[in-house]
Amino acid sequence: MSDGFTQPLTLTLGHLYPDQLNLYGDRGNILTLRRRCQLRGIELRIVGLGIGDALAPDEYDMLFIGGGQDKEQAPVAQDLHEMKGIGLWAAIEDDMPVLAVCGGFQLLAHYYRPAEGPDMQGLGVFDAWTIHKGARTARCIGDIAIRWNGQTLVGFENHGGRTYLGTAKPLGKVLKGNGNNAEDYTEGAIYRNAYGTYLHGSLLPKNPHFADYLIKLALQRKYRSEFHTDQGTPEEFNGHIHIDQVPMDGSQQLERIADNVGAHLLPLDDVLEWEAHASLLERLGLHSEVTAVLAAQRMRKG
Amino acid sequence: MRKQRLSQSVPPETDGEQQEGQNDPSQSTNTVPQGPPDRKKRRQNVLRAGLAVVAGRAAGAISRRLHLGGGTSVVGIVAQRIYPEIIEHMAAQVEHGSVIVTGTNGKTTTSGFIAAILRDSGLRVWHNREGSNLMRGVASLFVIRAKPNGQLRRSGKRAISILEIDEATIPQIVKALEPRVAVFNNLFRDQLDRYGEVDSIISHWRQAISQMPASTTLVLNADDPSIAYLGTGFNGKVLYYGIDDPSLDLQKQPGDNEQYQVSDARTCSNCGREYTYSLRFYSHIGHYHCTSCGLQRPQPDIRVIQVQLDSFDHNRITIEYIAQKYEIIVPLPGLYNVYNALAAITASLAVNTDWQPIITGIEQSKPAFGRGELIQAEDKTIRLLLAKNPTGFNEVLRTLFSEGIARHILFILNDNIADGQDVSWIWDVDFERVVGHAQTLVISGTRALDLAIRLKYAGIPQKKMTIIPHMPLKSERDKRQTRQQRGAHKKQKEHQTSPTSEQITSQIANSYGLKSALDTALKQTPVGETLFIVPTYTGLLAVHRELEQRGLTPHFWEGKEV
Repeated sequence: MSDGFTQPLTLTLGHLYPDQLNLYGDRGNILTLRRRCQLRGIELRIVGLGIGDALAPDEYDMLFIGGGQDKEQAPVAQDLHEMKGIGLWAAIEDDMPVLAVCGGFQLLAHYYRPAEGPDMQGLGVFDAWTIHKGARTARCIGDIAIRWNGQTLVGFENHGGRTYLGTAKPLGKVLKGNGNNAEDYTEGAIYRNAYGTYLHGSLLPKNPHFADYLIKLALQRKYRSEFHTDQGTPEEFNGHIHIDQVPMDGSQQLERIADNVGAHLLPLDDVLEWEAHASLLERLGLHSEVTAVLAAQRMRKG
Repeated sequence: MRKQRLSQSVPPETDGEQQEGQNDPSQSTNTVPQGPPDRKKRRQNVLRAGLAVVAGRAAGAISRRLHLGGGTSVVGIVAQRIYPEIIEHMAAQVEHGSVIVTGTNGKTTTSGFIAAILRDSGLRVWHNREGSNLMRGVASLFVIRAKPNGQLRRSGKRAISILEIDEATIPQIVKALEPRVAVFNNLFRDQLDRYGEVDSIISHWRQAISQMPASTTLVLNADDPSIAYLGTGFNGKVLYYGIDDPSLDLQKQPGDNEQYQVSDARTCSNCGREYTYSLRFYSHIGHYHCTSCGLQRPQPDIRVIQVQLDSFDHNRITIEYIAQKYEIIVPLPGLYNVYNALAAITASLAVNTDWQPIITGIEQSKPAFGRGELIQAEDKTIRLLLAKNPTGFNEVLRTLFSEGIARHILFILNDNIADGQDVSWIWDVDFERVVGHAQTLVISGTRALDLAIRLKYAGIPQKKMTIIPHMPLKSERDKRQTRQQRGAHKKQKEHQTSPTSEQITSQIANSYGLKSALDTALKQTPVGETLFIVPTYTGLLAVHRELEQRGLTPHFWEGKEV
């Protein structure tokens, strides 16, 4: 690979309602995405989308929406309907990765029914709904671990509403903790590349595999290939695309290469992250999961 | 015969005991004189109060004897079981009434300042201390100062009680006593898993204030919008305090422009529109107004017109009150302590205190437990700075690095119930400030790993941190044990001292627990320098216990008036 040129990859993250929905350390998720991109030479631009801002799906590669206080969720729900609904739907139908945590998750389901007062309408991305059964029903608070994609996700949950899934697929199965409703062992919801979850704590710092999964989805989507070729083995990704020749159609070339490398994000030193992940599993008494995590970590180290 | 009944009734079946007394005619003639029902009731209450005092103090003595703790809260627990209205009964006897102090941050320091001022003004001050700010703590405060006849010592003459009250306990305390002064200092997000959201606290406070009599004086922070709004519609007197020094604006602080600030009162309490700030000191504290409904920061009655930082724990402030200026030195670090002093001064003025005791009271105050407390550890100094929520932590960090000097730091993050079990909040703390400002850095506590990740993502290289978790992973322990069982005795010793290459914890120090964290941090601190320990609440208790055992500090409860 001689005289080509390199081009840095960029991703744009739309952070929905950063001022209104920021209660449960949501900043940790953003910082994690940014840092993990940065370490691989990917530039992650973060754009805050407040109340009144429109959402143009073409401008973003990834969306994040956090959780907030009840008082602040009502104006957000209204704005979601009036301003951002169409854009958000278009983005999701176009497979944009979306992470919605806690209140954000509830807002993307059909509705939130409080113990008193009228329903708060959601966007209905997830075929699910949330019911608050009143002050007598205990809040779902505590450490939680779920099974996702053959691995574990860990976090902290703190929600009064109970969410029930219609046809929506859950994000994972509850190993320990409450999950959506403390009844059916489901946690979160998935629709296309949109993920809703109650896990915070923050979610992504201690679940680096999930953070990388979202980054990969965004990279693949942005630089997706229109023609799948067998151009040798994919290189490990270092944030730059190496292009052998100045291409006729630069963008197409770029896409193809990114598609190859996107699946192979440069591994990072995640010892600390996995140690924290394992220690939470251990607190929850999931000893066999701890062993699995530690074994996988040893494998990664070679 | 009465003696026998007394000793039998110490267990909590007091209701049964009382009924028995009423139903048994032979006894009622002896002990309860016939009379109008309210007199009879009062006599009964006096008896129950006396009983509660005796039982509570006995329980406290036993608890102390058995070394179960300071024995302060058990006094209140037992006394309340016997006589639930014990606080009501006792508080009514205090001649100069009660001052209650609440807020997310600064309760202990503020009430400490008020106590010092009023003591200097010649009153007998009864002050509940650290960690006893729930109902049982208040009950203890009175019970340990009462005589077995249910009367306060010296009938409460020339006495005033200064009560630090937990945010969530305000509704209960207001039902039990009519405060002479109620201080609301600030409201930030804190322990969402325990207190709930900020909005729900405000609505509880609002309701409690509506039950206060017009004789109560509210002392409110004008610069915290949700606190200031508590004064609207209150029938009694309201005194506002605030800071009017434009040089403290965040925009004018070097390097602070892009710092992350958590705001917990973004929107107008009246109309819900976002506030506009002309000055912002930290978090949502500053000069704000609402462009939609016109709500404004109230003009403070007592205002600080200048804050000058002489040294780390030497803030020179100029106060203006009714066209008079007073200069006072606040002997504690940080702008948040200026607010605490200002709250205390305002509360003291509300009970008609002169300026002389106000000045001496503030200037001669020692830092409260863990709030900037200085401890000499042989040839090194330890300074304890409690930080238990995002805003508190942010302000501690800002104060720590205000002089631009790199520090030796030990962070302790715990997630016990008293700390809040959700540690998500550390992601809202501006740990980016620590980058380049930590000479040595040790991280410990039950959530040491979470904090280490937070610092890593803030941009601190892992090599610069020493991570000492509270205990090793159990599976790692087990693995080592089975190997030990298999191996010979000699090998066993080797394994204990040197870690195996397989361990993934290689980057994490191979020592565990607070003791070794403290040892490591002290070892890394050169002679003559200061180690800054920033713990969460239970971390602070643990550090203090550890320092006590090393003979460096007096017993935690020794200073308490037990």
